[in-house]
Amino acid sequence: MTLRTVLRNEWRLLRADRALALVLVVFALLFAYALANGLAWVDFQEETLAAAREGNAERVETLEAELQRIADGGQPSSPFRDPRSPSVLGGASGAQTAVLDPGPLTALAVGQSDLLPYYYDVSIQTNESSFLQNGEIENPLNLLVGRFDLAFVVVYLLPLLILALSFNVLSGEREQGTLALTLSQPVSARGVVTAKLAFRAILVMGLALGVSLLGVLFSGGFGSPGRVALWCAAVAAYALFWFTLAAWVNGLGRSSAWNATVLVGAWLLLVVVLPAGVNITAGLLHPLPSRVEMITAQREASNEAVNQRSELLARYLEDHPELAGGVAAEEANRAALAWAATDAVNRRLEEVTSVHGERLAAQQALVRRYRFLSPALLTQEALLDAAGTGDARFARFQSQVREFAERWRTFFVPAILAGEQMTADVLPALPSFRFVDEQMREVRARAAIPLAALGGLLVLVGAGAVARLRRVTGP
Amino acid sequence: MSTQAVLETPATGEAPPIPVRSAEFEDPVLEARSLVKRYGDLEAVAGLDLSIQPGEVYCLLGPNGAGKTTTIHLFLGFIEPDAGRVRVSGFDVARNALDARRRLAYVPEQVMLYRNLSGLENLQYFAALGGRETLSSERLTDILVDVGLPLPAVGRRVAEYSKGMRQKVGIAIAVAKDAEALLLDEPTSGLDPKASREFSELIETLRGRGVAVLMATHDLFRAKESGTRIGIMRHGRLVTELSTDEIGHADLERIYLDHMQE
Repeated sequence: MTLRTVLRNEWRLLRADRALALVLVVFALLFAYALANGLAWVDFQEETLAAAREGNAERVETLEAELQRIADGGQPSSPFRDPRSPSVLGGASGAQTAVLDPGPLTALAVGQSDLLPYYYDVSIQTNESSFLQNGEIENPLNLLVGRFDLAFVVVYLLPLLILALSFNVLSGEREQGTLALTLSQPVSARGVVTAKLAFRAILVMGLALGVSLLGVLFSGGFGSPGRVALWCAAVAAYALFWFTLAAWVNGLGRSSAWNATVLVGAWLLLVVVLPAGVNITAGLLHPLPSRVEMITAQREASNEAVNQRSELLARYLEDHPELAGGVAAEEANRAALAWAATDAVNRRLEEVTSVHGERLAAQQALVRRYRFLSPALLTQEALLDAAGTGDARFARFQSQVREFAERWRTFFVPAILAGEQMTADVLPALPSFRFVDEQMREVRARAAIPLAALGGLLVLVGAGAVARLRRVTGP
Repeated sequence: MSTQAVLETPATGEAPPIPVRSAEFEDPVLEARSLVKRYGDLEAVAGLDLSIQPGEVYCLLGPNGAGKTTTIHLFLGFIEPDAGRVRVSGFDVARNALDARRRLAYVPEQVMLYRNLSGLENLQYFAALGGRETLSSERLTDILVDVGLPLPAVGRRVAEYSKGMRQKVGIAIAVAKDAEALLLDEPTSGLDPKASREFSELIETLRGRGVAVLMATHDLFRAKESGTRIGIMRHGRLVTELSTDEIGHADLERIYLDHMQE
């Protein structure tokens, strides 16, 4: 009964207080803008991927026509781009673009999908440096700051809305003098605060989840109900954490000004300082090798390889005796020599990029270890995982592209070394890429950790709030 | 409808009325035994014994800091006693604060309400919190009018109310609760003479219904007018108790001043 009575009264107070209504309207607009931004990004991404797919089909069609024309007695359009050569067919002319479709809820959380490549041109030239480059041109500031999406609004701004609505939920009653009349009724301060926060939670979570579900509806994400449920659980748990923290601080019995200072300080610490501190610490402890160093290594290896092509081919065939049949290093064709050089460059690059990979993994491990310090980090991780724009899905994509690039090389390199000529008949047999997306159970298992940690924090702060509010018996 | 009529109208189809208790009811509604409350070295209430029967109006007189408000707050369970016991209708306030409050109504010295809501909306809220959520708006409007709030003011925002008007809404909240005991802390503070007179009539009506009233006040006239018993407090102690039947206004003033000079 108390709950219903307080909810009704809070609704009346909200309607009577224009400032509160204005705050809610401003946040509703922010949510709508963030959603529109996310949807626009997904549209852009889908257009790019459609163009990539179209490009794949066009290249195959062009090559097929060219090969057919040559088979009918015609000449190649350029002697340097003869599609019968496996190094041309498997190189840039015949490259296939491997694409990662947007995650089911990318419109809600762009995450790093604007920073990490979501398509790669795969050819026999594909090497580790290919995975470190992004073909898209974007304002670096946008990449640094990240997109203004729903995940950003939820993680950074939603706590501010919650704190603005809840910092004086009990202290305000005390200061305006209504607490004496309220507590002279058969109600506990805990019950009243819970009911008042429940009203605010309905408003705030209704807004956040409502806009989220609208985004899911617009982007067709209801095909992944598990991800939608994860998203909603993360938003709800994070919002409840801040409501519970506000209840705890109110239970301390200090003034509204004191509550506001402490709660904004907590926001600054948990949402800004700690996450930034963890990232900076990770960068300092495990610095990534310089990109200049990597490019220099690539150039040096390339020059060296060009100078020593014959020697490299002999070494390559020693390493791959199964490919040596019919190929003599002394008689090697030009393409075989070029391939040997490419392979040498790739090996040298693998050495350099493996250091990069190890450092990056160490950074990520450190961030994972200390993410429990900040509910913002935990929530962001859960939201990105739910949206399919987290690190794990991109790593999976890269791994599958690597495997595809290996299949591509395996298809063309023996032909290059053997100096074979390709015909249009090989085109249907070309390796193709199809991303095998992660299973929901993998996503659930991964997201369970940050969600459980968030739940643990919620229980901890909730217990503190209940203990403090129990002690509030009078105005 | 007069105050008397509002209070005596059966709540048919609404919240069940609290049974009227007779003045012969033996157990006290409000009871304090050896009650002690300290704030550091200061003993705000020092071994207070008090017993108020149904239908009794007990007026606590005393200077500022005598412990009157602290006593009322102890009955409400706002603060915990350091020693002794407080009971409301047999419920130990320390153990069953909510049960005790269910049987209590309280009017503070400064009735503070939600400024952006109307008097009626405030009354609806507090009446519902007090367990009278089924009272209709018409009935609550009648209560507000009968405690002296002008009808046009009932729907106006409390921000536009005078202190006296807020006080009347506070009294209406207490009336609507239909409690067994009424705690009043300087209730006529800020009321004009006419409203004070109406207030006295209201107390008389409630007394007739068997409600036990504890009123802390500085107003000797109102205490003599409304009270059945008067207790004079000083330094947290009850220094004397008087029956209003036995003394006149002048006697009360003299006795009070004598005790203050000791």
